[in-house]
Amino acid sequence: MPASQTGHVATHANRQQQRAERLASALPPLLVAAERVAATVAQGVHGRRRVGQGETFWQFRRYEFGDTPQQIDWRRSARADQIFVRETEWEAAQSVWLWRDNSPSMHYQSDPALPTKQARADLLTVALMALLIRGGERIALLGDPATPATGRAALTRLATSLALEQPPPPGAGDIGIPPAMPLPRHATTVLVGDFLSPFEAIDSAIRNLAAQGVRGHILQVLDPAEATMPFTGRSHFLGLEAEGDLLVGRAQGLRQSYLDRLQEHQDRLHDLASVAGWSMATHHTDHPPQPALLALYVALADQPKF
Amino acid sequence: MLTLGPLAFATPWLLIALAGLPLLWWLLRAVPPAPRLVPFPAIRLLFGLDPTEETPHRTPWWLLLLRLILASLVIFALARPLLNPGNDLRGSGPLLLVVDDGWAAAKNWPVRQAAMTEAIDQADSAGKSVMILTTAPLATGEPLTAGRLMRAGEARRLIPGLAPKPWPVDRAAARQAIANVELAGAANILWLSDGIEDGSARQFAQKLQQLGATRILTDPPGELPVLLLPPEPEVDGLVARALRPDGSAARNFIVSASTEDGRQLAQETLRFAAGETVASVAISLPSELRNRITRLSVAGESTAAAIALVDERFRRRPVGLASSDTPDVDQPLLGDLYYLDRALGPFAEIRRGNIETLLDRELAVLILADIGTLTGAERDALEDWLDRGGVLVRFAGPRMAERDDDLLPVTLRRGGRTFGGIMSWEQPVGLAPFEARGPFAGLAIPDDVVVRRQVLAEPAPDIGSKTWARLSDGTPLVTADRRGAGWIILVHTTANTAWSNLSLSGLYVDMLRRIVILSQGVVGDDGGNALPPLSTLDGFGQLTEPASSVVAIPAGGYAQAAVGPRTPPGFYGTDTARRALNLGADIDQLTTIADLPAGIVTASYGATSLRDLKPWLLLAALALLLTDFLIGLYLRGLLPLPRAKHLAAGSIAILLLLPQPAPAQNADERAIAATRLTHLAYVITGDSRADEVSRSGLVGLSLALRSRTSVEPGPPIAVDIESDELAFFSLLYWPMIPAQPALSDTARKSLNAYLRNGGIILFDTLDQQFAGLNGIGPGTNTLRQLVAGLDLPPLVPVPPDHILTKAFYLLQEFPGRWSGGTLWVQQPDSRVNDGVSPVVIGGNDFAAAWASDEFGRPLFPVVPGGQRQREMALRFGINLVMYALTGNYKADQVHIPAILERLGQ
Repeated sequence: MPASQTGHVATHANRQQQRAERLASALPPLLVAAERVAATVAQGVHGRRRVGQGETFWQFRRYEFGDTPQQIDWRRSARADQIFVRETEWEAAQSVWLWRDNSPSMHYQSDPALPTKQARADLLTVALMALLIRGGERIALLGDPATPATGRAALTRLATSLALEQPPPPGAGDIGIPPAMPLPRHATTVLVGDFLSPFEAIDSAIRNLAAQGVRGHILQVLDPAEATMPFTGRSHFLGLEAEGDLLVGRAQGLRQSYLDRLQEHQDRLHDLASVAGWSMATHHTDHPPQPALLALYVALADQPKF
Repeated sequence: MLTLGPLAFATPWLLIALAGLPLLWWLLRAVPPAPRLVPFPAIRLLFGLDPTEETPHRTPWWLLLLRLILASLVIFALARPLLNPGNDLRGSGPLLLVVDDGWAAAKNWPVRQAAMTEAIDQADSAGKSVMILTTAPLATGEPLTAGRLMRAGEARRLIPGLAPKPWPVDRAAARQAIANVELAGAANILWLSDGIEDGSARQFAQKLQQLGATRILTDPPGELPVLLLPPEPEVDGLVARALRPDGSAARNFIVSASTEDGRQLAQETLRFAAGETVASVAISLPSELRNRITRLSVAGESTAAAIALVDERFRRRPVGLASSDTPDVDQPLLGDLYYLDRALGPFAEIRRGNIETLLDRELAVLILADIGTLTGAERDALEDWLDRGGVLVRFAGPRMAERDDDLLPVTLRRGGRTFGGIMSWEQPVGLAPFEARGPFAGLAIPDDVVVRRQVLAEPAPDIGSKTWARLSDGTPLVTADRRGAGWIILVHTTANTAWSNLSLSGLYVDMLRRIVILSQGVVGDDGGNALPPLSTLDGFGQLTEPASSVVAIPAGGYAQAAVGPRTPPGFYGTDTARRALNLGADIDQLTTIADLPAGIVTASYGATSLRDLKPWLLLAALALLLTDFLIGLYLRGLLPLPRAKHLAAGSIAILLLLPQPAPAQNADERAIAATRLTHLAYVITGDSRADEVSRSGLVGLSLALRSRTSVEPGPPIAVDIESDELAFFSLLYWPMIPAQPALSDTARKSLNAYLRNGGIILFDTLDQQFAGLNGIGPGTNTLRQLVAGLDLPPLVPVPPDHILTKAFYLLQEFPGRWSGGTLWVQQPDSRVNDGVSPVVIGGNDFAAAWASDEFGRPLFPVVPGGQRQREMALRFGINLVMYALTGNYKADQVHIPAILERLGQ
């Protein structure tokens, strides 16, 4: 390799590193903000049955047919005539696989005062990670080869990995579909994105995950402009993912049919989620993140045990 | 030219382009404005949607209208529209332009010239020839004649040469001038009048009508000129008087008095009441200033009539003093003339000498003090002078009491009357009040003025009417009589203090002043010489060199001199004795031209002025074009309409750009920034490396505090110990570097106040690694020097039960970057500030242990090392902050078991 080319590659690498560092400098604020959000939510669920390290005693119940002898609590059974089984809460830490849509359409804000959908999705994802790690869960990123891990180090690593992720260029094929990968059975997945891609693609991705026995939660993050379509007049709409463009004489004339179609899209997503036994919620970036996170967290905690 | 009412088009064929507007309308409708660009992630949902309304890719109607108006404006502008193009010259004959160019035309002369040009332009376009007749007498003195017929271009070149004359118009002569003019066809006559009646306007207008259709232009009533009459002298100034032709509305003018070199001395408002054509205003000035006035002028009027020239007659009057005694240099107070001299000096020019020499020069007043008899030659000269208007004032005295003559207003009784004399008075007599009609009317009489002796008049039937002042017993004190055009005035007592103390009073001065004003000014010898012109006024009221045609006023002809081409208004005579000839002297009333024969069209100047609308239309089109451009940008979304908050932000940005000289404001901002959140603070050492370590150390500690405790500090603040306010910070971190400068007195004072009022300083000597030999490192030495002037309490190593060991974490050692060492605090039994130590001194380089980058990664290795040491260092920092913020709160908690135990008992 000629010297100049070597130099060029070195410079390029250097530049990449600088860029990464610049991007990573956004991490601590994100982490801190996410932890703050998480802390308020943790406050909110304080007093609920919150699991410890997975060894916490939850309740005794009568022995039923099918329980293994190892589950019998002999000390409790000795005090009565019946045989009791000791149940612990969250006795096996779950692995939660999170996915955050990184398609170009997420990098959108209709007003400079609002966060981009991407920023809000990052915040919610990292905050949820922080909550889950407090709960002792193991977390991993969907599409990330690393195995689920727990602890603060894992949180930092995953948050860094989220913050460093570059948006793909428009038209690169990333249209916001969760990647297909083999997940352990009974894993839980949380999908955060705008889910504005063609329904068929979402449908197949979700069905694929659900077929593996994975439970999941879908959080649709929308910009208020997407939820209301406030545009008027002669408008030339441009897609962010190279879907094409559209020239409209009177944008307000399209509003009602657009809203109907969006509603229909969301209904189909709901149907899809309920068929798969998943939950789905919608969040707008002009709303505070805490309620969405709380709902998500409660949904995670409430799901039936395996 | 196409004419539509007051509007005409110079190039009307361009209006055909208006027919193209529908085509433009169609084109514009077909081409919609460029759309607004909207990035929209949910665009997939839009594909294939049918819009409910179909209005389409059409230009909005209002934009269409805007553009059509724009196009029409351009077309109209190109057709060159003219407003008020004027009446056509309908008559078949030439244009006769009659121009009043007398003094009154000087006002608004440019307007008249514009009207002439306009008329000639019309004649030009109509192909008519032009004849010009001016109505004021020519400056050359030749008789008025009508000009010859000439082409319009030639006439146009004459107009700049026309100028108003400083004398009145002579329409009778003008009528003669056109009496024999023969014009082919019906002439078009335009009379640019000056609006002032000269007595023959009607006849002149009738003569004009015989020649053709006559149109007369006049000024609106408020625009007519005023005429300033020669001022009248007053006791303490001048009275300016003015005439105006039209008395309909009340109007005010400013009259100013100025000197030879143009300096303005006084300014008064001349108020014409409604219905009045005469107004006057007094201009009061001290006599010194008044004597410098050479002209009065009406501000804003540029005619010869708005200037009144002031000559010596309105100035200090020359007063001659003559006496029969010889002035005694040793005893001046006894002289006859001493008091006269002192009394007249301020307002009159005093000359002394015998009667003949005094009368050789012009003189206003001649005062003879106690002169008994006059020689024949003196008598003749005096009588001649009196006939011409001289004022002779005689004072009585011993000599006059013995012998008198007939140049007296009354016959005197021999011997006079003396206090204690023949007709003895009981006591000296005061003055009776002055009569209301005499020249002394209104003068106040001091009580202490007494007359001890006087000459008495023989009783006569007319003595009462000749008496101007009396004593309180009724005998005359001042008598006067007319002689020729002049006056003879006799004061029946002396001019000095011999017979009376009148000459010591202010009344004496006032009486003399009144007498001098009574005089007509200079009554002197102008009979012998002609008065050559010095400088003359032009038509606009500017003093200029006299033209060659101006002649001298012949000897003795001044009184009869009238303003005209030969003698225009101005100064005549010699530089030392000049006479003013004023336009106003000949005119005693002004009226407007009112009585015009029927059939004459009357109009005002300016009302018919042509106006070219092209530039205005083009300007409007340009404005619309810009509007259209902005609308286009907006429709494409390229022009974000500013929202209120953006505007506010913008204005704030502008405010920030303004210079902000106030350091107090900066100090306020700093104080607000420092107190809005809790901040950790460090002292600037001046060593940038040390300061950076301090800063990043406190950043790391702040991060730990935020994540572990309820303390949520803001970013650390650097504090300049010499100048910054310390009270905002509960804890200061201060690393001791060898280069630390000594403290100034100010800094020492503020540090002492800070420590006394509960502040805590963590002194870090950074020298634990040197402490091997004798325990004294460089930082410790620095600290010792530094704290020499500070009020530090006795210090002890931290006791095992000190609050620092349990404020948040339980600690027994306080490592930093180094471990070991001793941490020093105040003796715990102190009661000052609840026993909270004002200083904490250690040497473990704490900040380096706390320091972390933005990712929370430590910046410096700890020695001997290990995460545990760093964690302990952070815990010490947290404990210290808790200690600084909560004081001895935790110490109280320590006693709770004991308190509970006591309560239980």
